[in-house]
Amino acid sequence: MTDQGIKSRPRYQPLEIDPAGRHHLLVVPSEDVPSDAVAEGFAPSAFEVWTVVRKSALPPSAITEEAAGTVRAFRSPAHLFSALEERLARETMGLRLYAVGPEDFLWDVYGVGEKAGLSPQEMRFTHSGTKARRIFCVHCRAVTEKVTTSIVTCSGCGASLFVRDHFSRRLSAFMGVQVDAEAPGDVPAAEELYA
Amino acid sequence: MTLQFKPDETFRKDFTYRNSDAGILRFPFPFPEDEYMYSVNIEPHVRGGPTAAFQAAFDVDEHYVAECRERALVLAEDPKRCQVLPHMELAQWDTLELIMESLAADYPDLFSLSKDGDLWTWVNKPLSIQQTFTFGKADTLPCPPFEYITRQAQGDFTLQDQREDNLYVDGGMVTTQADWSLEFDIGMSFHEWHGPVPLAHEKGVFDRALKYLLRLQYGQPVRRLNWTMTINPRLDTSPENYPVWGPDRTTITPENVAEKVHLRVELQTLFRLPRSNAILFGIRCYLASVAELSRVPKWRKRLHRVLRDLHPAIQEYKGLPRYRQMVIDTLAPFDDGAPLSKGIQSDLTAL
Repeated sequence: MTDQGIKSRPRYQPLEIDPAGRHHLLVVPSEDVPSDAVAEGFAPSAFEVWTVVRKSALPPSAITEEAAGTVRAFRSPAHLFSALEERLARETMGLRLYAVGPEDFLWDVYGVGEKAGLSPQEMRFTHSGTKARRIFCVHCRAVTEKVTTSIVTCSGCGASLFVRDHFSRRLSAFMGVQVDAEAPGDVPAAEELYA
Repeated sequence: MTLQFKPDETFRKDFTYRNSDAGILRFPFPFPEDEYMYSVNIEPHVRGGPTAAFQAAFDVDEHYVAECRERALVLAEDPKRCQVLPHMELAQWDTLELIMESLAADYPDLFSLSKDGDLWTWVNKPLSIQQTFTFGKADTLPCPPFEYITRQAQGDFTLQDQREDNLYVDGGMVTTQADWSLEFDIGMSFHEWHGPVPLAHEKGVFDRALKYLLRLQYGQPVRRLNWTMTINPRLDTSPENYPVWGPDRTTITPENVAEKVHLRVELQTLFRLPRSNAILFGIRCYLASVAELSRVPKWRKRLHRVLRDLHPAIQEYKGLPRYRQMVIDTLAPFDDGAPLSKGIQSDLTAL
């Protein structure tokens, strides 16, 4: 039951460059651009690429130069997002923002872009890597990360949450609804679905 | 016609909400035919109609005062049931103007609006409110304009922004909802926020409805009915509080089914707003117990037929499986199978 027939779940295409763009910024939450996410004929050298190495000792680098083919590394996704906010605040028309990675990363990027005034047409996303989900508990609003099972214990209120396919781009998360709300204690076994 | 409000009614704990005889007869019964399937079923929202619930732009009935108090209780517990995204400021004022002007025109004994340029005075007699404010200046009201006026109206409201040939639910006052979350859905496009509804996407219902609504004209509002069922006359059946109201569904017995199971009808209205070009979506909730509806012979027979033949995916989505059969069993002895008139009117003038 990985597809519950709910239409809010985003669909993705392999990454292709938008020829209408003047400058192309690609962000990925890993060190390399995943090869399975890109369309045929895709040339990473056409993009300015921001990556995440997950290492605190990484020396900082200036975010102001922008040239196709530049690759810049950040210590964590959060580090990358704060730089992205700064960068987008100074941007002019014609930038296209691309992201490749797990779903929660993609829609976190979307949130940063939207806040900076980018329209959906100026952003392109491709899903790659883990299918683990970020779950927003509709009862307590806590977020539970890296969920791979059909039912998960809420990190906030402790409820057994059914992982519903309903997806919020704004929250960058799927909805979790208490599975035994009607008959407390009646919790089905969790299935591994989103590895 | 003078309205007798029932200010002490409750929608929680002891659930003292009841419909008067007149209240039953004005119920917007949602089934024009013996079978139910999702459809667009949008019609012009013109005054008059099959019951008295259709006689005003925004219907006010005997439950008005109690419903406004219930809304205030929900907001005190969870202020985020009212949210409007920042770019919808103009739509907030459009809403305030539309509701104030409509209520004052439809119910001059209860509400009045006087204007001296931008200096407006609003009087709401049932809630004992008199407010002078400057139209367009939010700091002259005790709370933001959308919240201010929707605290004084029955039913939920959402604000849809129109852009990119789509509608986005970018604001709302949602305290009496049938199990959907504004906090989760705010900002979603039309197909996204209807995502969980089964069957209707495949039937093209939402594609057609969206096309229709994108062309909605100012001054030509439209309406449709939707329905589900709720245990007890509870207005707040939010997903947020599902663990609070969900257990009610396991309490139904053949003895209490007629009193406890309520048909929950949404009279949905859509208004194009003049300055913002946004759409105000009113979702007015009516509750009547199976026992109350059973006093109208046509309605009890039709409700029986609709529930008996309901598509399994729809009964699942509406949360009916635990008690639907008990409702059918309690109604079946009163259904002789005779043909019923088309349409939703009660075919009665008095109970």
